[in-house]
Order: sequence, then C-alpha cells, then structure tokens
Amino acid sequence: MRYDSITEAIGNTPLVRIDPAVHGLRNIDLYAKLEMLNPFGSVKDRPAWHMARPHLEADTGGEGTVVELSSGNTAKALALLAGMHRLRFKSVTNRMRVPEIKELLLLIGAEIEELPGRSECLDPTDTDDPLTHFHRALSDPGSTYLHTDQYFNPRNVEAHAEGTGPEIVKDLDGRVPDWFIACVGTAGSSTGVAKVLREHDPRVRVLGLVAHKSDFIPGIRTMDEVHEVGLFDPATYDTIESVTSDEAIDGMITLIRRCGLLSGPTGGAAYEGAVRQLRYADAELEGTGQRRTAVFIVCDRAESYLSYVRQRRPELLGRTDRGRSAVAVTDAEARAEGRVIDVHEARRWCAEGDPRPLVVDLRSPHAYAALHIEGSVNIVDEVFEDLLRGGLPFSKRTPVLLACPVGEKSLRFAAALTRMGHPDVRSLAGGIVAWRDAGAPLVRE
Amino acid sequence: MDAPLYLRPRVEPPLAALLADGPFLHSLADGLGSPLNVLLPEAVATNAARFRAVYRRHRLTGRVYFAHKANRSSALLRRLAAEDPAAVGVDVASTEELRHALGCGFTGDRIMATGPKDAAFLWLAARVGATVNLDSPGELERLSALVRAHGLGRVAVLVRLSGFEHTTGNGGAGTRLLSRRSRFGTPVRDMEELLSALEHNADIVEFAGAAYHLDTTGVDEKARALEQCVLFMDECRARGLAPHTLDIGGGFGVGYVAEAEDWERWTTALTEAVLGVRPPMTWRGHGYGLRNEGGTVRGATALYPAYRPTAGPGYLDEILSLPAPVLGRPAATLLLEHLHDLYIEPGRSLVDQCGLSLARVLDVRPADTDAGHHLVHLAMNAGDMSLEEHGVLVDPVLVPRDETAATGDGEAVGVYLTGNLCLEGDLITRRLVFLPRLPQAGDLLAFANTAGYAMDFRAHHAQRQPVARTVAVERRGDTWRWCPDEDYWPITPMGGAVG
Repeated sequence: MRYDSITEAIGNTPLVRIDPAVHGLRNIDLYAKLEMLNPFGSVKDRPAWHMARPHLEADTGGEGTVVELSSGNTAKALALLAGMHRLRFKSVTNRMRVPEIKELLLLIGAEIEELPGRSECLDPTDTDDPLTHFHRALSDPGSTYLHTDQYFNPRNVEAHAEGTGPEIVKDLDGRVPDWFIACVGTAGSSTGVAKVLREHDPRVRVLGLVAHKSDFIPGIRTMDEVHEVGLFDPATYDTIESVTSDEAIDGMITLIRRCGLLSGPTGGAAYEGAVRQLRYADAELEGTGQRRTAVFIVCDRAESYLSYVRQRRPELLGRTDRGRSAVAVTDAEARAEGRVIDVHEARRWCAEGDPRPLVVDLRSPHAYAALHIEGSVNIVDEVFEDLLRGGLPFSKRTPVLLACPVGEKSLRFAAALTRMGHPDVRSLAGGIVAWRDAGAPLVRE
Repeated sequence: MDAPLYLRPRVEPPLAALLADGPFLHSLADGLGSPLNVLLPEAVATNAARFRAVYRRHRLTGRVYFAHKANRSSALLRRLAAEDPAAVGVDVASTEELRHALGCGFTGDRIMATGPKDAAFLWLAARVGATVNLDSPGELERLSALVRAHGLGRVAVLVRLSGFEHTTGNGGAGTRLLSRRSRFGTPVRDMEELLSALEHNADIVEFAGAAYHLDTTGVDEKARALEQCVLFMDECRARGLAPHTLDIGGGFGVGYVAEAEDWERWTTALTEAVLGVRPPMTWRGHGYGLRNEGGTVRGATALYPAYRPTAGPGYLDEILSLPAPVLGRPAATLLLEHLHDLYIEPGRSLVDQCGLSLARVLDVRPADTDAGHHLVHLAMNAGDMSLEEHGVLVDPVLVPRDETAATGDGEAVGVYLTGNLCLEGDLITRRLVFLPRLPQAGDLLAFANTAGYAMDFRAHHAQRQPVARTVAVERRGDTWRWCPDEDYWPITPMGGAVG
C-alpha cells in the first residue's frame, strides 16, 4: 500500500482469533485487536495523532514544544509526530520505570523531565505537588507549549470511538462482541470503544483491568490511580478487576510462545485477565449450544520490556553462567590461594624489584585519574574480568601487583591468576586505602 | 458498621514486649501522669549497629551522626555517646543542642553543627572542635571572621551543596531529574565563590568535604546527588584542596505500619471517600490533600508513606548499591575508590522502635449513633503526639486498665481521638481510628514508635496543659526498670543503686 505520510498508516489494525487450544474456552471465541501493529508500535498512535493533529497542522513555524505526562507509548508516538513537524517534544513523568523505553525516547529526540520522589520530611501544609508546577508552566503567558493532556482530553476517547471501536464491529461482520476487555491507562481506548459498542448493542459487557495496587504493569494504572484520570468514569465498566505483573508476564508468554503475537506485558495482562474472567461465563454456557465472542486489546510489542522481564522473571531470559570468572572464586579460596603483600613490602618491590612489578589499579578510570600509585596502569575490574576470559595483556613471566580500594577484589583476581598459572601475582593488602593511610604517595593524572 | 480499616503499627521485640506489659505502663502513667513518653535507650544502640553493618558490608569508613532534632532526650544521646567514638557522632542544629550533646558526653570532634547558625553557635562549635556544615559563602565569612578575631583553632568544615538538577551530565542528554527546591545549601553552579573563599581561608578552615541532604524518598535523586558530590570533590582536588568526606544527610525513613495490605486498603478507601462512593472516614471529610473535582481525584496525598518495604539501614544499603548515573559504578564503590569517608545523619530512622507515647482515656461518648462511631477524649493534645503533623498515620495500641475485661468483648469500633485543648481543631488525628474494642475511661492508648519527631518536637504549654514527662526504661530479667530521662546514664542500672 502506498502512503504520503506514515500517519495514514495509523489504525485499521487486524483482529486475530486466538486458537481455542491455547485459552481452553469451549464456547467463546476470543479475538485480539492488534494495536501493536500501528506504525509507531502501540494503541497510543491513534490518540497521539488525533490529539496533536490540530496543533501540528496549525502553522507553528517550527516553534514550540509538545508536552505530555507520559512514560511510554504516548510519549513515543508524540515524539515521532513532533519530529515530523520539526517541533520538540518533552515528556514530564514520575513513572519512567522501563530503561529501554527511556532510551528509545532519547533516541527519538525527546526531552524527559522526571518528577522528584515524595518528601521524606513532610510538611502537610505544602500541597504544592510537582504537577501543579507543571500546569503553571503551561499556562505561563508566552508559553510555546502544546499540551496534549491525554488524561483529560476528549480527543483521546474520540480517536477510539471513531477508529478502534467501529473497526471491531466491522471485522465481526457488524456484530458487537459480548465482552470487551481492556487495560485502563488513560481510559481512552476502553471509554471510546465501549461507547461505540454500547451504541450498537447495549448488552455488551465491558471489563476494565487495573494493576494490583502495589504492583507495576507498564501502561496500566492501579485502582487508586485511575481515579486521578479525568477520562475515567466507573460507569464505563461493568466490572473492574486487578491483575498482577506476574499474570501480565504469563499472558505475554502465552501470546508470544503459543500465538505468534509478539505482545508486551500490557497485552499479556489483558489476555490473562480476559481468560480468567471468561472462564466462569464459559462454564455457564456449557451445554447450551450458544456461542459468544470476546475482544481484548494487544496494546504494544515485547521488545521494549526485556529489562522488565529480566527484573521479575530472569529465568525466562535464560541467564547462564559465564565460564572462568574471578567472581567464581569464593572468599575462602581467595584467602587460601591469593598472595598478599603489605604496603611497606609493596613499596620496596615497586622501587627495587628486579624486574619491577606491573602495578594494576582495578578501580574506575575516574577514581584512578583522581589519585593513583605512580606508574600503575588502570584496568577497571569489569574489564579485567573480561580479560581473564579473553586473554591477558601481560605475560606469565611479568610479576604483577594488583590494587583495589580495600584489597578484596584484588585478592580474588590474584587467586584467579595464580590458578591460571601466573607465578608471581600479589594483592596489595588493604588496597589503595591502606596505601594512603600509610602516607605512601599518590599522584593525580 | 463499616469493616474496620486498621493501620496496625510495626513493633519489634523490645518495643513489643513493653507494649505487652500493661500493668507496668499503667503504673508509670499512674505515677507520672498523662501524657507520658517512654524511651528504650538500648534500641538506639541496636539501630546504630545496624547502620554500621551496612558500612561494613560496603567496606566504608566514616561516622553515623544522630540528628538530635528528632528527639530532645538525654538518655538517647548519652547511650549513643557510649558507642565507639570513631563510629557514632551527633548532628546538632542549635546552640542548646550543642551544649546538650557536650553535656551528654560527646567530645567536640564527634559533633557536626548543621542548620541555621548564629554567632554563639558558630563560636561554641569552633571552640570545641566540632565540624561545621556550612550552608552558604556568607556563613563561611562569618565563621572565618570569628575564628580570626578570637584566635580559635582551625575548624573542619563541610560544604552543603544543593540544586543538583541544574548541573550538566546528570544521567544522559535529554533527561532532567527534577528535585524539590531547598532553602538550604549552596547551588552547585554557585560553588566558585565558596571555593575561592575556602582557598582564601585555608589557614582558618580545613575543607573536609561536601554534604547534601535531599528531602525526598527517591533513591535515584540521592544517587545522582552523591555522584555529583564525588565529581565536585574531584574538581576540588584538582585545584589543590584535599576533601576526603561526603556527608549524605538523612532521610532513610521508617516503616510505621506493619502490613502493606493495611496501608493499601486504607489509602484506597480514602480515595473512595473523597469521591463520595463510601462514607467519610475522616473528621469533617478531611481529604489529606485529595479533593474531588467533578468525579476525578485531584491533588496529592500529604501523607508519609507509612508502610515502607525498605527503610533505615536497608534504604541506605539501596542507595549505596545503586549505579551512579554518569560513572556507572555503584555509589559505595565510587566512595571507596575515591577514598572518601561516608557520613550520614539519620534522625527518625536511628530512633525507630525506640519509644512510645502514652495517653490516658478521660471520656468516651457516642459521636454518630448510626455508624457506631465514638469520640475518645484523651489526656494529651496534638502537640504531645505529633505523628499526624508529619503525615504519619498509624493506629495506637489499646492498653486496658482491667485486662480481664478486655478479653470478653471483642467488637471493633471506629473512634475519633480528641485532645485536651479547648479547641475545635485539637484532634490527635483527623482520621477515624479503629480499635479492637471500645475503650473505657482509665484505659491507656499507647502510640508506638514516636521517638522520631513525634514525641516532643511540637509539645507546648498552651492552656497550661502539662507537657509529657519522659522516662527511660530497660528490661531486666522478667521486670522493667525505669528512671527519669534526665537521670539516665549508660552506666547506671536503672531503678537501683550505682553498680
């Protein structure tokens, strides 16, 4: 298909049936609305474009900054749209908890402002929350901010009422599904779709999913947080249920490994929440000969959430051991096999040794630059660790003095090198700290 | 009646044992009156040891300074003075606190002078060899002038930095981590003036290092500030100064509520009450910062996060383990590699579990017959137990006068706790508090964990109501011993003769 602008590719996403062998529902057809196939990668492409369009199409002369409170997909879409119109984009957030998304936003050219944490020494009369400052800055006279305001902007809902909702009805041959299941973030997609479906058939049941209160699922708010959303109206939902991050990841894995859908955790939460809820209805339908349909939204793709998965379920990413490692030397082995040398002897060795030892400082380059033993070379511990596996830049005949801050890491490396057949490797006892405390000279870069 | 929404306090062994000994608590309050503050000096030493254990785990050296402002007690200070001088010091914020610390046995070298300082405070700090935590270039000028005029010895100083978000290189291009504005410290971008003053006065002041204190629970902000201080101290070294210490202040936090579930249920209920979908659970519908605007909740809860999965030493460990945003190494490694000592100034977290406040129930009467709520009138006012003032919500423990009666009737009841001032606003908390049964006149309510800022920080003599007495207690075998706070010394067996 040929387009003049990528924005024309937003919407008209596929509705894909989930194989009943996967979800096990015998009387209900479950469909996934693949919003992850929007061009910028998520369900937020629709509202981002719909909200920003009037601003972007007005003649700004390349002046101004689009701002939004977003930690993820809305920010991503708006940043790309702003870039296309030679505007800047700024995201203000306290929820930037997934590092890949932050990096992706920086790559796109977004500016990110992270709000401070809660006050530790609380002043209850100070009700000036950071968002108040944000809104004040927006309303400054002369401000060139274009605030899309996704949590309150009716165009967020409209984007789905005009797009997502009618597409679902059309793809179901003009029928409305019996259930619609969506995760609640800004409440835009659930409110917009629910509105359209109810207009067609008021019998549709809408399930809203929120995150378990102490939990974190990207793109979903908790039960308390949804009440801060201007677009959220409890009457939109027949039921509101909570899901955990564990369930979200379970659902995501099912969609990825069984259905060929490269869904992120938000889609996983929707799937898992849907199946959990529909199981009861499915049991009631048993034997009645009736069939029902249900639709849930797959919000975005998996790639940006690897660290999210790593943090919660490292086994899914098959974390394995990495061969010979100084870390593999236990404390007891280090003490038994590593040779140490005290500051006094080490100074003599460095001055009079024949040959003199190579002094390796294992601290970070910044600390090394600030103060180090004269004549020492700097190989930071992480690099040294890699060199142990990949090959060392000195011969076994070279006597080596290893130094770290307190003589602990250097002892492990000394033990590891001794095991590898280096005959004369010693660890500076007490490290650079002991060296300094003994009044031995340290130099700056 | 509504299901009781408890916020049960977190109590650990010594404090739990004290709370369980009703007859002892009643005998104290009978003799010494209500309100009454009860302290456990041994617990403060245990907490100091826990912070020290975090230092050891990260191989760090430096002192733990108790922020005296958290509690006026002599017993706590004297017990800390008995700890290893190289490991434990005290942070004082006024001339009187400094005098008190000296009188409790701290030598000048273990004292850190912080906060706003007048000439007397600066002079006494310099005279006794305390470290002065400098707030501004002006303060350095005043200190130097004093030292010169009065021939005092060279004074060790730390410089307090602030405004970290404005410097460059904070966590990558395009990202700005905002922080609350502080009235203290010198912005990093204005350091030039202070540094040249330090160089100029090098014969008068010994520049020991940098300090910061951020009013936030966010570990990322703290890790960023820590790294910027390390970078700053490195610049100082480059111009010939020799700073060796970083003071990262306090704010390590305390978990007041035992169960996450209690806290979550309660805060959810507050949101619902503000929206009007459940009955109010506060006096006159107070929203603790939340308000209802057309069905949407606006504002932020002005509440301390009373349930905290990590607090105190665990929180310090978390900061020290966090990778620095620019240099990438964990904060503890940065300090260690740059050969810096670490100072901390815990207040609240160092006196966690160190005491409680007792109040006698004077009168109980129905407040709302339909809901079954009552007013419980206490011999105490909001100034005597100021957890509410700090946004901390946690239940008191009911200590019945007659323990046998307590076991019979177990119906939970919602009560409003009113104070002894003739003032509409004098409520101990504006929250509806649930107790396992209705208290009776003569019972005690014990507010656990009040030693940090809640016990005597806001106590006053308004309406000539009595200010609480404070006693120190200690478990000896099967019995509790006690003595007035001012009579406690770490060598004296309590309630008996000097051994």
